[in-house]
Amino acid sequence: MRDENTQSTSVQDSDEDLEIRALLKDYPVPGATATFYDQALLRATHEGARRQRKRWLLTGFGSAIAAGMALWIMGGFLLATPDLPIAEPGIPGITMTLEAPRTVNFVFASATALDSAVLTVTLPDGIELAGFPGQRVIAWQTSLNEGKNYLPLELIALSPAGGEVLARLEHKDRDRTFRLRVEVG
Amino acid sequence: MRPHFDRLYRLAWHLAGQKAEAEDLFQELLIKAYVKVDELAKIEEPGSWLSRIMYNLFIDERRRFTRRRLQTVEEAQLAGEGLAAFAGNDDPLRDTQQRDKIRALDAALSQLSDEHRLVVLLHDTEGYKLKEIQSLIGVPVGTIKSRLHRARARLREILTQSGTFS
Repeated sequence: MRDENTQSTSVQDSDEDLEIRALLKDYPVPGATATFYDQALLRATHEGARRQRKRWLLTGFGSAIAAGMALWIMGGFLLATPDLPIAEPGIPGITMTLEAPRTVNFVFASATALDSAVLTVTLPDGIELAGFPGQRVIAWQTSLNEGKNYLPLELIALSPAGGEVLARLEHKDRDRTFRLRVEVG
Repeated sequence: MRPHFDRLYRLAWHLAGQKAEAEDLFQELLIKAYVKVDELAKIEEPGSWLSRIMYNLFIDERRRFTRRRLQTVEEAQLAGEGLAAFAGNDDPLRDTQQRDKIRALDAALSQLSDEHRLVVLLHDTEGYKLKEIQSLIGVPVGTIKSRLHRARARLREILTQSGTFS
């Protein structure tokens, strides 16, 4: 394991040098306690997930977060509804260029403010959300304001396959799924 | 990642110098790794990659994780237990002498600069190769050799002055 040029004993090495190396080799380092690794992994899972959500929010919402806005969905349509917004019958679509990031501003209107809603964005293979490489499903909890809510999503196409971006909004026992068709040209 | 935990924990210990800071550093590494888990899955040598992240984390937040120069009573007791376990029971007189030497070495290491102490601990205690240290801390091999030489010389000087080698 040791490097030849520092491990070999030269004629100038004194007994003290050799003893120091022997002491260093045996220098004790306390090990972790039996439960430390498991606890550390558990904490990392919780804290890592929290930081990922925070990073997403900071990336996606920017100054809107600072203004206290919690925002939302889909495709440039303004829909006034009593509770959850209605999923539009026609599927809006965009065309992207391969490997060129594109920010899609989703505009969504809600007739009432909604707290503790859960948004789940599901991406097709080959489409990624900036800051979440390799992740197909990203979910977080947020609130909707009454009126227009905006959500910018920076998408990147990594394959020409395209597909549908799904945004599922859940609040209490209700849910709606919105779709955005993505073609890669 | 688990196969690398013991080695990473020891690295955290050598960087931070004490239990609480080492565990904080290790914990922060796992959180970073969780966030980069997709990237980690593609890495050929995850152990080296994780070590570099830990080292960079330590450098970026050195004040948070750094070794405290003054040991508390509790930490001194912990160190004593470790030494007792290390010494064994076959030859009590020899064990006591060895324990005293290790204590002297511990004190001498605390007098080295952070750079010298880390290099000598990684190389002589952990068995890292020079190129591994280079990869970890981003310093040329020649500089590492120089630090290693100076660190050993300084340890010899301190231990001789303290009468450890009388």
